[in-house]
Amino acid sequence: MGSNTFIEVDSYQFSKNGTHVCGDVFLSRKVKDENRVIAILSDGLGSGIKANVLATMTASMALNFTIENQPIQRTAETIFNTLPVCGTRKIAYATFTIIDIDCDGETRIVEYGNPSCMIFRRGELFHPEWKQIAINRKDTRDKSMFITSFISEKEDRIITFSDGISQSGMGTKNMPFGWGINDINKFAKNQIQRNENISASALAKNMVMQAWKNDLMKPKDDTSCGVIYFRNPRRMLLLSGPPYNSENDKKLASIIESFPGYKVVCGGTTSQIISRELNKDIQVGLSPNILGLPPESKMEGVDLLTEGILTIGKVSEILENYNGEDINQDSPAHKIVKMFFESDEIDFLIGTRINNAHQDPSLPVELEIRRSVVKKIIKLLEDKFLKKINLEFI
Amino acid sequence: MEKKIKVKICIGTLCYVMGGSELQLLEEHLPEELKKRVDIEGSICLGFCNSNEDEKPPFASVNGKCVSRASITKLINQIKKELEDGLH
Repeated sequence: MGSNTFIEVDSYQFSKNGTHVCGDVFLSRKVKDENRVIAILSDGLGSGIKANVLATMTASMALNFTIENQPIQRTAETIFNTLPVCGTRKIAYATFTIIDIDCDGETRIVEYGNPSCMIFRRGELFHPEWKQIAINRKDTRDKSMFITSFISEKEDRIITFSDGISQSGMGTKNMPFGWGINDINKFAKNQIQRNENISASALAKNMVMQAWKNDLMKPKDDTSCGVIYFRNPRRMLLLSGPPYNSENDKKLASIIESFPGYKVVCGGTTSQIISRELNKDIQVGLSPNILGLPPESKMEGVDLLTEGILTIGKVSEILENYNGEDINQDSPAHKIVKMFFESDEIDFLIGTRINNAHQDPSLPVELEIRRSVVKKIIKLLEDKFLKKINLEFI
Repeated sequence: MEKKIKVKICIGTLCYVMGGSELQLLEEHLPEELKKRVDIEGSICLGFCNSNEDEKPPFASVNGKCVSRASITKLINQIKKELEDGLH
Protein backbone atom coordinates (compact mmCIF):
# COMPACT_ATOMS: atom_id res chain seq x y z
CA MET A 1 0.00 0.00 0.00
CA GLY A 2 2.98 2.27 0.59
CA SER A 3 3.53 5.04 3.02
CA ASN A 4 1.80 7.65 0.91
CA THR A 5 -1.64 6.22 1.57
CA PHE A 6 -3.72 7.88 4.21
CA ILE A 7 -6.44 5.99 6.04
CA GLU A 8 -9.36 8.29 6.72
CA VAL A 9 -11.73 7.08 9.42
CA ASP A 10 -14.94 8.89 10.27
CA SER A 11 -18.45 8.24 11.46
CA TYR A 12 -21.82 9.84 11.85
CA GLN A 13 -24.80 8.93 13.97
CA PHE A 14 -28.30 9.77 15.12
CA SER A 15 -29.96 8.60 18.31
CA LYS A 16 -33.33 6.91 18.32
CA ASN A 17 -36.08 9.50 18.32
CA GLY A 18 -36.70 10.71 21.87
CA THR A 19 -33.41 9.53 23.37
CA HIS A 20 -30.57 11.89 24.11
CA VAL A 21 -27.78 9.34 24.19
CA CYS A 22 -26.89 7.05 21.32
CA GLY A 23 -26.80 3.33 21.98
CA ASP A 24 -24.30 2.78 19.15
CA VAL A 25 -20.64 3.55 19.75
CA PHE A 26 -17.99 4.01 17.09
CA LEU A 27 -14.39 4.16 18.31
CA SER A 28 -11.20 4.42 16.34
CA ARG A 29 -7.58 4.56 17.29
CA LYS A 30 -4.34 4.97 15.46
CA VAL A 31 -1.53 2.95 17.02
CA LYS A 32 1.37 5.15 16.06
CA ASP A 33 4.29 2.87 16.89
CA GLU A 34 2.91 0.05 14.77
CA ASN A 35 1.36 2.28 12.11
CA ARG A 36 -1.93 0.54 12.63
CA VAL A 37 -5.53 1.77 12.53
CA ILE A 38 -8.31 0.11 14.49
CA ALA A 39 -12.01 0.98 14.32
CA ILE A 40 -14.86 -0.51 16.31
CA LEU A 41 -18.63 -0.22 15.95
CA SER A 42 -20.83 -1.56 18.71
CA ASP A 43 -24.60 -1.49 19.06
CA GLY A 44 -25.86 -2.00 22.60
CA LEU A 45 -29.06 -3.85 23.39
CA GLY A 46 -32.01 -1.50 23.76
CA SER A 47 -31.58 2.25 23.54
CA GLY A 48 -30.61 5.24 25.63
CA ILE A 49 -28.17 5.15 28.51
CA LYS A 50 -28.41 1.40 29.04
CA ALA A 51 -27.51 0.68 25.43
CA ASN A 52 -24.77 3.29 25.50
CA VAL A 53 -23.14 1.70 28.53
CA LEU A 54 -23.19 -1.73 26.89
CA ALA A 55 -21.86 -0.40 23.60
CA THR A 56 -19.18 1.77 25.23
CA MET A 57 -17.92 -1.14 27.32
CA THR A 58 -17.92 -3.47 24.33
CA ALA A 59 -16.21 -1.00 22.03
CA SER A 60 -13.50 -0.06 24.52
CA MET A 61 -12.78 -3.68 25.39
CA ALA A 62 -12.71 -4.71 21.74
CA LEU A 63 -10.40 -1.82 20.95
CA ASN A 64 -7.95 -2.46 23.75
CA PHE A 65 -7.86 -6.23 23.32
CA THR A 66 -7.27 -5.77 19.62
CA ILE A 67 -4.39 -3.38 20.27
CA GLU A 68 -2.90 -6.05 22.53
CA ASN A 69 -3.35 -8.66 19.77
CA GLN A 70 -5.54 -10.91 21.91
CA PRO A 71 -7.14 -13.84 20.07
CA ILE A 72 -10.62 -12.89 18.92
CA GLN A 73 -12.40 -15.72 20.70
CA ARG A 74 -10.97 -14.72 24.04
CA THR A 75 -11.83 -11.08 23.34
CA ALA A 76 -15.43 -11.97 22.57
CA GLU A 77 -15.82 -14.22 25.60
CA THR A 78 -14.33 -11.65 27.94
CA ILE A 79 -16.71 -9.03 26.58
CA PHE A 80 -19.78 -11.23 27.05
CA ASN A 81 -18.75 -12.25 30.54
CA THR A 82 -18.15 -8.66 31.58
CA LEU A 83 -21.27 -6.96 30.21
CA PRO A 84 -23.98 -6.30 32.80
CA VAL A 85 -27.11 -8.36 32.29
CA CYS A 86 -30.16 -6.37 31.20
CA GLY A 87 -32.79 -6.38 33.94
CA THR A 88 -35.78 -6.80 31.63
CA ARG A 89 -34.35 -9.03 28.93
CA LYS A 90 -32.07 -11.13 31.15
CA ILE A 91 -29.21 -11.21 28.69
CA ALA A 92 -26.02 -9.25 28.22
CA TYR A 93 -25.78 -8.27 24.61
CA ALA A 94 -24.02 -5.81 22.37
CA THR A 95 -22.88 -6.32 18.79
CA PHE A 96 -19.46 -5.44 17.50
CA THR A 97 -17.49 -4.98 14.34
CA ILE A 98 -13.72 -4.80 14.65
CA ILE A 99 -11.68 -3.45 11.75
CA ASP A 100 -7.94 -3.78 12.20
CA ILE A 101 -5.60 -2.44 9.51
CA ASP A 102 -1.83 -2.75 9.74
CA CYS A 103 0.87 -0.74 7.99
CA ASP A 104 0.96 -2.96 4.88
CA GLY A 105 -2.76 -2.65 4.32
CA GLU A 106 -3.43 -6.11 5.75
CA THR A 107 -7.02 -5.71 6.92
CA ARG A 108 -8.86 -7.98 9.30
CA ILE A 109 -12.56 -7.59 10.01
CA VAL A 110 -14.49 -9.43 12.70
CA GLU A 111 -18.25 -9.09 12.87
CA TYR A 112 -20.67 -10.15 15.51
CA GLY A 113 -24.35 -9.26 15.24
CA ASN A 114 -23.96 -6.15 13.08
CA PRO A 115 -25.06 -5.99 9.44
CA SER A 116 -22.17 -7.14 7.26
CA CYS A 117 -19.96 -4.26 6.21
CA MET A 118 -19.58 -3.19 2.59
CA ILE A 119 -16.21 -2.99 0.91
CA PHE A 120 -15.86 -0.96 -2.27
CA ARG A 121 -12.94 -1.36 -4.64
CA ARG A 122 -12.72 0.68 -7.87
CA GLY A 123 -16.37 1.64 -7.54
CA GLU A 124 -17.66 -1.94 -7.22
CA LEU A 125 -18.55 -4.09 -4.24
CA PHE A 126 -15.68 -6.32 -3.22
CA HIS A 127 -16.46 -9.63 -1.54
CA PRO A 128 -13.62 -11.15 0.44
CA GLU A 129 -14.05 -14.66 1.79
CA TRP A 130 -15.66 -14.79 5.26
CA LYS A 131 -15.08 -17.54 7.77
CA GLN A 132 -17.52 -18.42 10.49
CA ILE A 133 -16.26 -18.81 14.04
CA ALA A 134 -18.42 -20.30 16.77
CA ILE A 135 -18.62 -18.61 20.15
CA ASN A 136 -19.36 -20.37 23.32
CA ARG A 137 -22.46 -18.76 24.79
CA LYS A 138 -25.83 -20.16 25.67
CA ASP A 139 -28.03 -17.15 26.24
CA THR A 140 -28.54 -15.93 22.68
CA ARG A 141 -29.19 -17.33 19.26
CA ASP A 142 -26.28 -15.35 17.89
CA LYS A 143 -23.57 -17.94 18.25
CA SER A 144 -21.16 -17.07 15.51
CA MET A 145 -18.77 -14.38 14.48
CA PHE A 146 -17.60 -13.79 10.95
CA ILE A 147 -14.04 -13.01 10.12
CA THR A 148 -12.20 -12.05 6.97
CA SER A 149 -8.82 -10.71 6.02
CA PHE A 150 -7.57 -9.16 2.82
CA ILE A 151 -5.03 -6.65 1.59
CA SER A 152 -6.50 -3.19 1.15
CA GLU A 153 -5.66 -1.17 -1.92
CA LYS A 154 -5.58 2.55 -2.44
CA GLU A 155 -9.06 4.04 -2.98
CA ASP A 156 -10.74 1.15 -1.13
CA ARG A 157 -13.59 2.01 1.20
CA ILE A 158 -14.96 -0.02 4.09
CA ILE A 159 -18.43 0.97 5.27
CA THR A 160 -19.79 -0.43 8.51
CA PHE A 161 -23.18 0.42 9.94
CA SER A 162 -25.62 -0.49 12.67
CA ASP A 163 -29.00 -2.12 12.06
CA GLY A 164 -30.57 1.32 12.50
CA ILE A 165 -29.48 1.89 8.88
CA SER A 166 -30.52 -1.44 7.37
CA GLN A 167 -33.88 -1.41 9.17
CA SER A 168 -34.59 2.27 8.60
CA GLY A 169 -37.91 2.93 6.97
CA MET A 170 -39.37 -0.33 8.24
CA GLY A 171 -43.13 -0.21 8.27
CA THR A 172 -43.38 2.66 5.81
CA LYS A 173 -45.23 2.22 2.54
CA ASN A 174 -42.09 2.49 0.42
CA MET A 175 -40.01 0.00 2.32
CA PRO A 176 -42.19 -2.21 4.49
CA PHE A 177 -39.21 -4.39 5.45
CA GLY A 178 -36.72 -1.57 5.84
CA TRP A 179 -34.07 -0.15 3.58
CA GLY A 180 -32.44 -3.55 3.01
CA ILE A 181 -28.88 -4.50 2.18
CA ASN A 182 -29.36 -4.45 -1.61
CA ASP A 183 -30.68 -0.93 -1.70
CA ILE A 184 -28.03 0.22 0.76
CA ASN A 185 -25.39 -1.23 -1.55
CA LYS A 186 -26.90 0.61 -4.48
CA PHE A 187 -27.08 3.86 -2.52
CA ALA A 188 -23.43 3.66 -1.44
CA LYS A 189 -22.29 2.72 -4.94
CA ASN A 190 -24.20 5.63 -6.36
CA GLN A 191 -22.65 8.02 -3.82
CA ILE A 192 -19.17 6.88 -4.83
CA GLN A 193 -19.93 7.03 -8.55
CA ARG A 194 -21.29 10.53 -8.27
CA ASN A 195 -18.21 11.73 -6.40
CA GLU A 196 -15.27 9.37 -6.57
CA ASN A 197 -13.33 11.46 -4.05
CA ILE A 198 -16.11 11.55 -1.47
CA SER A 199 -14.54 11.70 1.98
CA ALA A 200 -15.21 9.17 4.72
CA SER A 201 -16.97 11.82 6.78
CA ALA A 202 -19.28 12.92 3.94
CA LEU A 203 -20.15 9.35 2.97
CA ALA A 204 -20.92 8.35 6.58
CA LYS A 205 -23.09 11.43 6.99
CA ASN A 206 -24.98 10.84 3.72
CA MET A 207 -25.73 7.24 4.68
CA VAL A 208 -27.11 8.25 8.06
CA MET A 209 -29.08 11.16 6.61
CA GLN A 210 -30.74 8.84 4.07
CA ALA A 211 -31.70 6.41 6.85
CA TRP A 212 -33.08 9.35 8.80
CA LYS A 213 -35.22 10.33 5.82
CA ASN A 214 -36.37 6.70 5.42
CA ASP A 215 -37.59 6.89 9.00
CA LEU A 216 -39.47 10.10 8.17
CA MET A 217 -37.02 12.14 10.27
CA LYS A 218 -37.82 10.22 13.44
CA PRO A 219 -35.24 7.42 13.72
CA LYS A 220 -36.78 4.27 15.15
CA ASP A 221 -33.41 3.00 16.34
CA ASP A 222 -29.92 4.33 16.98
CA THR A 223 -28.45 4.87 13.53
CA SER A 224 -24.70 4.89 12.91
CA CYS A 225 -22.30 4.57 10.04
CA GLY A 226 -18.50 4.43 10.07
CA VAL A 227 -16.39 4.70 6.93
CA ILE A 228 -12.74 3.93 6.31
CA TYR A 229 -11.22 5.34 3.14
CA PHE A 230 -7.70 4.61 1.85
CA ARG A 231 -6.54 7.57 -0.17
CA ASN A 232 -3.85 10.05 -1.12
CA PRO A 233 -3.03 12.27 1.81
CA ARG A 234 -4.23 15.87 1.65
CA ARG A 235 -1.59 18.08 3.13
CA MET A 236 -1.55 21.28 5.15
CA LEU A 237 1.21 23.46 6.54
CA LEU A 238 0.78 25.64 9.60
CA LEU A 239 3.45 28.17 10.34
CA SER A 240 3.57 30.10 13.54
CA GLY A 241 6.23 32.12 15.26
CA PRO A 242 9.43 33.79 14.09
CA PRO A 243 12.50 31.53 13.84
CA TYR A 244 14.81 31.68 16.85
CA ASN A 245 17.65 32.55 14.51
CA SER A 246 16.70 35.18 11.99
CA GLU A 247 19.09 33.45 9.57
CA ASN A 248 16.31 30.91 9.14
CA ASP A 249 13.80 33.51 7.90
CA LYS A 250 14.69 32.69 4.29
CA LYS A 251 14.24 28.97 4.90
CA LEU A 252 10.80 29.63 6.40
CA ALA A 253 9.76 31.64 3.36
CA SER A 254 11.00 29.09 0.86
CA ILE A 255 9.22 26.23 2.66
CA ILE A 256 5.91 28.03 2.48
CA GLU A 257 6.45 29.02 -1.11
CA SER A 258 7.02 25.46 -2.31
CA PHE A 259 4.52 23.60 -0.11
CA PRO A 260 1.77 21.57 -1.87
CA GLY A 261 -1.52 21.95 0.03
CA TYR A 262 -3.20 24.36 2.41
CA LYS A 263 -0.91 27.02 3.84
CA VAL A 264 -1.74 28.84 7.04
CA VAL A 265 0.31 31.44 8.88
CA CYS A 266 -0.58 32.36 12.46
CA GLY A 267 1.11 35.43 13.86
CA GLY A 268 1.74 39.02 12.89
CA THR A 269 5.51 38.94 13.08
CA THR A 270 5.68 35.66 11.21
CA SER A 271 3.48 37.13 8.47
CA GLN A 272 5.74 40.16 8.27
CA ILE A 273 8.81 37.96 7.85
CA ILE A 274 7.18 36.06 5.00
CA SER A 275 5.91 39.25 3.44
CA ARG A 276 9.43 40.70 3.54
CA GLU A 277 11.19 37.58 2.27
CA LEU A 278 8.76 36.86 -0.55
CA ASN A 279 8.14 40.52 -1.28
CA LYS A 280 4.36 40.21 -1.07
CA ASP A 281 1.99 42.70 0.53
CA ILE A 282 -0.28 41.95 3.47
CA GLN A 283 -3.81 43.32 3.41
CA VAL A 284 -5.25 43.59 6.88
CA GLY A 285 -8.98 43.43 7.32
CA LEU A 286 -11.00 45.00 10.09
CA SER A 287 -13.91 43.00 11.36
CA PRO A 288 -14.93 43.81 14.89
CA ASN A 289 -15.51 40.99 17.33
CA ILE A 290 -15.55 37.71 15.47
CA LEU A 291 -15.84 35.61 18.61
CA GLY A 292 -13.23 37.71 20.34
CA LEU A 293 -10.48 37.10 17.81
CA PRO A 294 -8.41 39.58 15.82
CA PRO A 295 -9.36 39.61 12.13
CA GLU A 296 -7.58 37.67 9.41
CA SER A 297 -5.39 39.22 6.76
CA LYS A 298 -4.60 38.29 3.18
CA MET A 299 -1.46 37.54 1.25
CA GLU A 300 -1.05 36.11 -2.22
CA GLY A 301 0.01 32.46 -2.06
CA VAL A 302 -1.17 31.89 1.51
CA ASP A 303 -4.61 30.43 2.20
CA LEU A 304 -5.09 31.99 5.62
CA LEU A 305 -3.22 34.60 7.62
CA THR A 306 -4.26 35.12 11.23
CA GLU A 307 -3.10 36.58 14.51
CA GLY A 308 -0.96 34.22 16.60
CA ILE A 309 -1.47 33.04 20.14
CA LEU A 310 -5.13 34.06 20.72
CA THR A 311 -6.22 32.33 17.52
CA ILE A 312 -4.16 29.23 18.23
CA GLY A 313 -5.55 29.11 21.76
CA LYS A 314 -9.07 29.25 20.34
CA VAL A 315 -8.25 26.47 17.87
CA SER A 316 -7.13 24.29 20.76
CA GLU A 317 -10.34 25.06 22.63
CA ILE A 318 -12.53 24.20 19.62
CA LEU A 319 -10.72 20.90 19.02
CA GLU A 320 -10.96 19.97 22.67
CA ASN A 321 -14.71 20.60 22.87
CA TYR A 322 -15.53 19.24 19.41
CA ASN A 323 -18.16 16.58 19.44
CA GLY A 324 -19.04 15.86 15.84
CA GLU A 325 -21.19 18.94 15.23
CA ASP A 326 -21.02 20.95 12.00
CA ILE A 327 -18.78 23.98 12.12
CA ASN A 328 -20.72 27.01 10.94
CA GLN A 329 -18.87 29.89 12.55
CA ASP A 330 -16.59 31.95 10.41
CA SER A 331 -13.85 33.12 12.77
CA PRO A 332 -10.20 32.64 11.76
CA ALA A 333 -9.87 29.88 14.38
CA HIS A 334 -12.87 28.00 12.98
CA LYS A 335 -11.41 28.32 9.48
CA ILE A 336 -8.19 26.68 10.68
CA VAL A 337 -10.15 23.86 12.31
CA LYS A 338 -12.07 23.27 9.07
CA MET A 339 -8.79 23.05 7.16
CA PHE A 340 -7.45 20.58 9.74
CA PHE A 341 -10.51 18.42 9.19
CA GLU A 342 -10.06 18.52 5.42
CA SER A 343 -6.39 17.51 5.69
CA ASP A 344 -4.77 14.20 6.57
CA GLU A 345 -1.17 15.11 6.98
CA ILE A 346 -0.39 18.35 8.75
CA ASP A 347 3.06 19.89 9.04
CA PHE A 348 3.65 22.28 11.91
CA LEU A 349 6.64 24.56 11.54
CA ILE A 350 6.90 26.48 14.78
CA GLY A 351 9.24 29.38 15.42
CA THR A 352 10.50 29.55 18.97
CA ARG A 353 11.43 33.19 19.37
CA ILE A 354 9.61 34.69 22.36
CA ASN A 355 7.75 37.96 22.01
CA ASN A 356 8.99 40.03 24.95
CA ALA A 357 5.93 42.23 24.96
CA HIS A 358 3.82 39.18 25.83
CA GLN A 359 5.72 38.46 29.02
CA ASP A 360 4.53 41.59 30.88
CA PRO A 361 2.97 40.34 34.15
CA SER A 362 0.47 43.20 34.17
CA LEU A 363 -1.37 41.89 31.09
CA PRO A 364 -5.10 41.34 31.70
CA VAL A 365 -5.08 37.88 30.10
CA GLU A 366 -2.58 35.09 30.25
CA LEU A 367 -0.82 34.67 26.96
CA GLU A 368 0.30 31.08 26.77
CA ILE A 369 3.58 29.99 25.33
CA ARG A 370 3.13 29.07 21.69
CA ARG A 371 5.07 25.87 21.99
CA SER A 372 2.84 24.39 24.69
CA VAL A 373 -0.43 25.31 22.93
CA VAL A 374 0.84 23.82 19.68
CA LYS A 375 1.79 20.60 21.46
CA LYS A 376 -1.70 20.39 22.92
CA ILE A 377 -3.26 20.90 19.47
CA ILE A 378 -1.01 18.22 18.00
CA LYS A 379 -1.96 15.74 20.69
CA LEU A 380 -5.65 16.37 20.02
CA LEU A 381 -5.22 16.06 16.25
CA GLU A 382 -3.35 12.79 16.63
CA ASP A 383 -5.45 11.13 19.31
CA LYS A 384 -8.92 12.48 18.68
CA PHE A 385 -8.86 13.09 14.92
CA LEU A 386 -6.26 10.51 13.79
CA LYS A 387 -4.26 13.03 11.76
CA LYS A 388 -0.69 12.41 10.75
CA ILE A 389 1.45 15.21 12.16
CA ASN A 390 4.97 16.37 11.49
CA LEU A 391 6.34 18.89 13.95
CA GLU A 392 9.46 20.94 13.50
CA PHE A 393 10.74 23.77 15.65
CA ILE A 394 12.76 26.42 13.92
CA MET B 1 -8.72 66.76 -3.67
CA GLU B 2 -7.87 66.84 -0.01
CA LYS B 3 -5.57 64.11 1.21
CA LYS B 4 -7.23 61.76 3.66
CA ILE B 5 -6.03 61.17 7.19
CA LYS B 6 -4.69 57.63 7.46
CA VAL B 7 -5.47 55.72 10.65
CA LYS B 8 -3.85 52.35 11.29
CA ILE B 9 -5.14 50.18 14.08
CA CYS B 10 -2.80 47.52 15.40
CA ILE B 11 -4.44 44.12 15.57
CA GLY B 12 -1.37 42.37 16.99
CA THR B 13 -2.00 40.13 19.95
CA LEU B 14 -0.86 42.52 22.65
CA CYS B 15 -2.78 45.57 21.40
CA TYR B 16 -5.82 43.44 20.77
CA VAL B 17 -6.03 42.11 24.32
CA MET B 18 -5.22 45.53 25.80
CA GLY B 19 -8.34 47.07 24.23
CA GLY B 20 -7.44 47.34 20.55
CA SER B 21 -10.39 45.14 19.69
CA GLU B 22 -12.70 48.08 20.52
CA LEU B 23 -10.78 50.38 18.21
CA GLN B 24 -12.03 48.41 15.24
CA LEU B 25 -15.36 50.14 15.86
CA LEU B 26 -13.78 53.56 15.30
CA GLU B 27 -15.57 54.15 12.02
CA GLU B 28 -19.00 53.83 13.63
CA HIS B 29 -18.09 56.45 16.21
CA LEU B 30 -16.63 59.02 13.86
CA PRO B 31 -18.63 62.26 13.60
CA GLU B 32 -20.32 62.57 10.19
CA GLU B 33 -18.10 65.43 9.05
CA LEU B 34 -14.96 63.36 9.64
CA LYS B 35 -16.07 60.13 8.00
CA LYS B 36 -15.16 61.14 4.46
CA ARG B 37 -11.82 62.57 5.47
CA VAL B 38 -10.40 59.49 7.16
CA ASP B 39 -9.13 56.13 5.91
CA ILE B 40 -9.12 53.41 8.55
CA GLU B 41 -7.27 50.17 8.17
CA GLY B 42 -5.99 47.36 10.35
CA SER B 43 -2.34 46.60 10.67
CA ILE B 44 -0.11 43.75 11.65
CA CYS B 45 1.91 44.69 14.78
CA LEU B 46 3.15 48.26 14.30
CA GLY B 47 6.21 47.46 16.39
CA PHE B 48 5.58 50.14 19.03
CA CYS B 49 5.19 47.58 21.83
CA ASN B 50 8.77 46.36 21.67
CA SER B 51 10.48 49.62 20.76
CA ASN B 52 9.01 52.04 23.25
CA GLU B 53 9.40 51.26 26.93
CA ASP B 54 7.42 54.23 28.24
CA GLU B 55 4.34 53.96 26.10
CA LYS B 56 1.59 51.42 26.68
CA PRO B 57 -0.66 49.50 24.28
CA PRO B 58 -3.08 49.51 22.58
CA PHE B 59 -1.34 51.36 19.79
CA ALA B 60 -2.63 52.98 16.66
CA SER B 61 -1.11 55.46 14.27
CA VAL B 62 -2.63 58.57 12.76
CA ASN B 63 -0.77 59.76 9.66
CA GLY B 64 2.19 57.71 10.87
CA LYS B 65 2.24 59.28 14.33
CA CYS B 66 2.08 56.82 17.22
CA VAL B 67 -0.94 57.01 19.53
CA SER B 68 -0.44 54.98 22.70
CA ARG B 69 -3.09 53.84 25.18
CA ALA B 70 -5.41 54.50 22.29
CA SER B 71 -9.13 54.88 22.78
CA ILE B 72 -11.78 55.92 20.32
CA THR B 73 -11.98 59.42 21.88
CA LYS B 74 -8.22 59.78 21.80
CA LEU B 75 -8.08 58.78 18.16
CA ILE B 76 -10.85 61.19 17.18
CA ASN B 77 -9.03 64.02 18.95
CA GLN B 78 -5.82 63.11 17.17
CA ILE B 79 -7.61 63.04 13.82
CA LYS B 80 -9.07 66.51 14.49
CA LYS B 81 -5.63 67.77 15.46
CA GLU B 82 -4.13 66.39 12.24
CA LEU B 83 -6.85 68.10 10.22
CA GLU B 84 -6.21 71.45 11.94
CA ASP B 85 -2.45 71.13 11.51
CA GLY B 86 -3.07 70.40 7.85
CA LEU B 87 -4.74 73.83 7.49
CA HIS B 88 -1.77 75.80 8.76
